[in-house]
Amino acid sequence: MQKKITKLVIKASPLLLLEIITSIVVSLCVTKGNSIISTLVDEMLQGALLDFTDTIPVFVILVIVGFIASFTQSFFAGTFANVVSTKYRRLVAEKLYRIEYRYITANNTGTILNKIIGDIGTVNEFLNSILPDMIGSLIATIVYAVYVARMKFTLFVLMLICYPLILGIANYFVKRIQKLTQTYRQKTDAMADIAQSAVSGILIVRAFGLEKRFREKMDGAAKELVENEQKRVNITNTILVIRQMLTWLPSIICALYAAFLVSRGDFSVGNLLGFVLILGRFVESFIGLPFAFVDAASGMVSIDRIEKVLTGKDEPTDKYMGEDVRDADKIIELKNMNFAYDGTPVLKDVNLTISSGDNIAFVGESGGGKSTIVHLLCGLYDNFGGDITIYGKSIREWDKQALRDRISLVSQDVFLFPMSIEENVAFGSMDATHEAVVKACKEADIHDFIKSLPEGYDTVIGERGTRLSGGQKQRLSIARAILKNAPILIMDEPTSSVDVAAENEIQRALEQIGQNKTCITIAHRLNTIKNCNHIYRLEDGRLTEGQVDVS
Amino acid sequence: MKKTKAFFRSMTVMGKRAPIYLLAILGMSVCFAMFSVMGSLLMKQVVDIAPTGEYRQLLISVCVIVCAGFLSLLLYRACTIVYNVEAKRVFGQLSSEVLDEELHLPYAYYEKHHSGELISKISYDLTRMGDIYGSRFRRVVMPIIEVIVFLVPMFIFCWQLTLCLIFVNCVILFADMLMVNPIHQTNKKLSAINKSMTEHMSDIIQGMVTIRMFRTGKRKLDIAVACNDEYYKTNKSYIIKSSTLESITMGCDLLCILFFLLIGIYFVNQGITTLGALAGIYTMYGKFSKQFLMIGKYIPELSACIANAENIFEFLDEEREPENWYADHTSDTNHNMNENLTENDACALQVKNINFAYEKEQQVLKDFSLTIMQNECVAITGPSGCGKTTLSKLILGLYPVESGDIYVNGKSIRKSPLSQVRSDIAYVPQDAYLFNATIEENIRYGKENATDEEVERAAKMANAHEFIMATSDGYHTMIQEGGVNLSGGQRQRIAIARAIISAAPIILLDEATSALDSDSEYKVNQALKNIQGKRTIVMIAHRPSTIRMADRVITI
Repeated sequence: MQKKITKLVIKASPLLLLEIITSIVVSLCVTKGNSIISTLVDEMLQGALLDFTDTIPVFVILVIVGFIASFTQSFFAGTFANVVSTKYRRLVAEKLYRIEYRYITANNTGTILNKIIGDIGTVNEFLNSILPDMIGSLIATIVYAVYVARMKFTLFVLMLICYPLILGIANYFVKRIQKLTQTYRQKTDAMADIAQSAVSGILIVRAFGLEKRFREKMDGAAKELVENEQKRVNITNTILVIRQMLTWLPSIICALYAAFLVSRGDFSVGNLLGFVLILGRFVESFIGLPFAFVDAASGMVSIDRIEKVLTGKDEPTDKYMGEDVRDADKIIELKNMNFAYDGTPVLKDVNLTISSGDNIAFVGESGGGKSTIVHLLCGLYDNFGGDITIYGKSIREWDKQALRDRISLVSQDVFLFPMSIEENVAFGSMDATHEAVVKACKEADIHDFIKSLPEGYDTVIGERGTRLSGGQKQRLSIARAILKNAPILIMDEPTSSVDVAAENEIQRALEQIGQNKTCITIAHRLNTIKNCNHIYRLEDGRLTEGQVDVS
Repeated sequence: MKKTKAFFRSMTVMGKRAPIYLLAILGMSVCFAMFSVMGSLLMKQVVDIAPTGEYRQLLISVCVIVCAGFLSLLLYRACTIVYNVEAKRVFGQLSSEVLDEELHLPYAYYEKHHSGELISKISYDLTRMGDIYGSRFRRVVMPIIEVIVFLVPMFIFCWQLTLCLIFVNCVILFADMLMVNPIHQTNKKLSAINKSMTEHMSDIIQGMVTIRMFRTGKRKLDIAVACNDEYYKTNKSYIIKSSTLESITMGCDLLCILFFLLIGIYFVNQGITTLGALAGIYTMYGKFSKQFLMIGKYIPELSACIANAENIFEFLDEEREPENWYADHTSDTNHNMNENLTENDACALQVKNINFAYEKEQQVLKDFSLTIMQNECVAITGPSGCGKTTLSKLILGLYPVESGDIYVNGKSIRKSPLSQVRSDIAYVPQDAYLFNATIEENIRYGKENATDEEVERAAKMANAHEFIMATSDGYHTMIQEGGVNLSGGQRQRIAIARAIISAAPIILLDEATSALDSDSEYKVNQALKNIQGKRTIVMIAHRPSTIRMADRVITI
């Protein structure tokens, strides 16, 4: 399948083409100047009178052309990268918003996601600097090689053999030695550990008079560091010497061969000068190539990972919007429902009916599938067996956004955005006024706390040490749910990460908003579910209506 | 000015080794530049000798040059090794000095600066300061030396041309400097936008469920997209600026090369220089110009690291905990003191009319006195905030008392060195800190040269032997950071074993059981019963179950 980025690159390819053309022009300016110089030298050696009147204007033109060409090269390269990466980032952002939830949580929750931010940066870097460097080096190498070939073909052949061969050997060799270096890792961590434990245990150090012993330990570690460094640098520097000498070798061979040709009369002195002059540039661009390819390979890995996300299916849209929903009796029905994560069954043949105004609870061991039911009810997964109907309509038919409009979720790990408290709460409704936010916060019993902050509702969460406790965060999320005012309220262990005092307050706030709503509570502490009229036990993916002694 | 001072101080830290270090940098730069010079010399010889047809002579001189190049690389290698080793040596030495300072600061310093923050700040500063020796300083010095080394043969080959080249390079440098600021500004703006874009993206990812549950979630996407568009726009202006700089550099480079060659040929024709010299200068010029433009580039980095060095020096200059808080008593009074020991030899601990306050207004202990006999087991209790823990810190000499005196085993804390007083007390705090070492080593911190049998005996007395044997490696089990692989009660019993093994006659327990559940508390108390009557036990406690063990209860 064609990659999304390929499409973008093709669309922007005129820019890329211009970049390539201009970089050819830049290299040609160099070779053209070079060949003029060669001719001049030969003429001079043949005794002709030096006359620069023709040459100077040509050189002035070359400089101007080179100046313009390198500007346009750099400009097109940058613009190409800018266009492609901006569009690509936008694609990713939009995809993340629309993709089916299961693609993101599949194979180890979060691994793709944790990397994707870094991947976007890598791709950006790849487009902005690695790719243009690679193109520049490649084109310069080719143009210079062609220039040499036109001067003397055998010299070109020798160059073609020497460089890749010898440098290939050098790299192979260097890689093998580099493995040795890994034995001698940096030892600074050990020293940091000593300092760390000495300071953390300072009271013990003082009380038992251990100062001298820790100092001795540190001195020992420092000595070891120096010894280790000696061995490490010994190896790394041997590598460096070998690499430098080997990189030098092709130049020596080629130059000697050129000199040999001159001494046989097969090559003019002017050409020799021209060759020597271009050799340095050729080497520079040629040596850069392998590194560029290695960098490019890591860029490709990132692209692959992003593409994996980009090819995931979107959540379906434009479906049943719930226009004709009436307050049916059976609000939620699970029919023979099965669900598996990566082939491991989590829910097995679950049947359940929840009626309007019910207040039900799920209890059971962690890992029993309680939170999975919540995710399924919120329409985050579509790949389940059996059926779930909400207001009598299969959840697969529902427009996901319309479905979620009818559900308020208060979950154990509250996610607050690094925005102001007001904005976070206002997230609950599209058109929340300040008054509505304040009212919701009052109902969630958090208003007084917010008022006590120096910046009140404008306090930005997460900034300058505004760390909220678990209970405070939870009450903000409840305020958000109050604003949303959805008919179904799902509470996924809302008090599991707070202490007892906070738990009672949250409980009160939850009871407040649970009135006249259909409530579903996931709990592991029994005191949170004392008002429920049905309690279900989920064990090993199976559902049983449990007789739980609430008192 | 302050920075220059800090910089010179970081050089003097090396002491006698500073010249070795500096010479190594000099050697590295010269040798590496020489290697490049050899490359140019090679090209010069090829061009000069080839037309004469004396291929043999050419081969000989090429061999000589290659050998010289190899030799300079070997020398470079030797210098690099010395350089790196010296850099690490001074880093190690500094780490030791910093640790020494950390170990000897007055205890109040740790209470004022949160110890975790303290250590991370210091170790960050230290690493950055190590970078001065390991790279930053060299990066500033090396290009300068290399440029000088390049200039010598260039001037010898043809000084007229070299002057021209230097002039053009100055022009490029000037253009560079003109462009650097605007480019830097745009770049800063660009990375700020990039940062906020990344933040919005990771919000979308981390808040995935939240965003989907609310229709307003789309706002987040809109913000991210707007950010992206802004990035695009800002990047446009960045591209124009950087392309301009690029083309100036490239244009000047081209100008330089072409006209340099023209003038060169003219000089060759005039007999001022040779074609080979021209080739030599030309090949050297590439490297020269690279290094030339590098000069000054790394100064900001060096300067940033020097700021870290300043912090380290400031820390090193911090006042240490004195030998004794009441400094006017010198060693001879110390001697006197031994004579007028205490009135009562049977006294293990005597606190006489002490007054103490952390802050001026808040008197914590007021005219407080107590006497504890040898081998007595005393519980000190009282409501929280009454100064129980403060008392234990005063007994350990972590703070000076305002007035009054404390006698530990007959030694006045006003007159004896702190280390002597402390060696008579084995301390067990509420949160038994265990070091990142084996269980055995942790116990042995109480007595450095304790035999294995002694360790085991102490552990048995502390009721710890059994659970230690049940761990995977017994006494050799590594204790993880802070002792997370042990329960609180187990940690506490190891801490008691540590206290038992030390020869200290007084064991001071500061709320040693207050964080434990009742089962663990029972086991710890059993351990204490094993030593009751053999040592003086002073326990600060508030749990009735612990207090009940004591021979006597003192309420503050």
